[in-house]
Amino acid sequence: MTLTDRQTDALGEFINIAFSRTASSLSEITGQRVLLEVPQVEIYPIEEVASNLARFLPGDVASIHQPFDGAIAGDAFLILNYEGAVRLTELLTDNGGVRQQYLDESAREVLTEVGNILLNACLGMFGNVLRVRVNFTVPNLHLESLDELIDSVSKEHDGLRYAIIIYTAFRIRESAVTGYLVLVLSVVSLQRLIEEIERWEERQEQEIHTSQNPAKSDLSV
Amino acid sequence: MKKKILIVDDSQMSRRMLRRIVESAGYEVVEAGDGAAGIEQYFLENPDLVFLDLTMKDMYGLDVLAKLREMDPAARVIIASADIQESTHEMVAAAGADAFINKPLSPEKVLKALETVMSEVKTI
Repeated sequence: MTLTDRQTDALGEFINIAFSRTASSLSEITGQRVLLEVPQVEIYPIEEVASNLARFLPGDVASIHQPFDGAIAGDAFLILNYEGAVRLTELLTDNGGVRQQYLDESAREVLTEVGNILLNACLGMFGNVLRVRVNFTVPNLHLESLDELIDSVSKEHDGLRYAIIIYTAFRIRESAVTGYLVLVLSVVSLQRLIEEIERWEERQEQEIHTSQNPAKSDLSV
Repeated sequence: MKKKILIVDDSQMSRRMLRRIVESAGYEVVEAGDGAAGIEQYFLENPDLVFLDLTMKDMYGLDVLAKLREMDPAARVIIASADIQESTHEMVAAAGADAFINKPLSPEKVLKALETVMSEVKTI
């Protein structure tokens, strides 16, 4: 499957808006400025997904995994290097300045909740902008390798042969926290997403047309 | 003579939408697909106002704004970005942008900002 330049651009712009909402939520939660890179869109066979993600975050990672379904179904991930995950929970909890070395039970709970807020901020834009209802299940925190995580995701979706990976890197300024926001979609869901983005653009055009011709639209009511 | 608007955004879709909105209000539009091209187009086209994205592949929008201000301290610039962090609003204001609008864009939001900024008298 290949996307046209126009489709890739429109997808990137929508994801930029969605991921920016996530960054804003993260900024509100931590009280720190969040720097976001330009989103990238790539398509891989499912078995190559983990290795392609691992090149960004080698070593131990902490991932919050949010499956979603509905008209568009897929898996959203907030992936942090392990050290970054520990530092993020320190930013969010008052631990008296004690430097943590690992994610204890309480830190894992905090991280899962933060992941839930952030990923919902992103996926909420599917509803708010595209008017597509997506349903969330409870997010899961994973501390295993990316290989194992992606393997478990691909086993859950029998038809998933190719996955679109839409990702962006973020960094919390004044801290060592860096990570990736990743969406994994099947080709079918990607096709649906593209269609909905094209409808969104058509609605915007209609809005421009209506704003140019308010009298006509009033008469047609 | 029509007033000229420069749109600097690395998203074709955003440029397309902004162009339609701005042209519908009777302005002439020129475009640039990245920050460096935006600076070049400003020099060549001498537009009356610039719509400027923040997160672009080659340059951050506020760095583009700084260059535009060096070239023309009276440049009218509206930042159009999906970044809604409060700190971003503060940085944009501190950098001297004339207005900030959030994406997704709507004709109402764009034209209100455009008309407000165009009506301001620049005294620099």
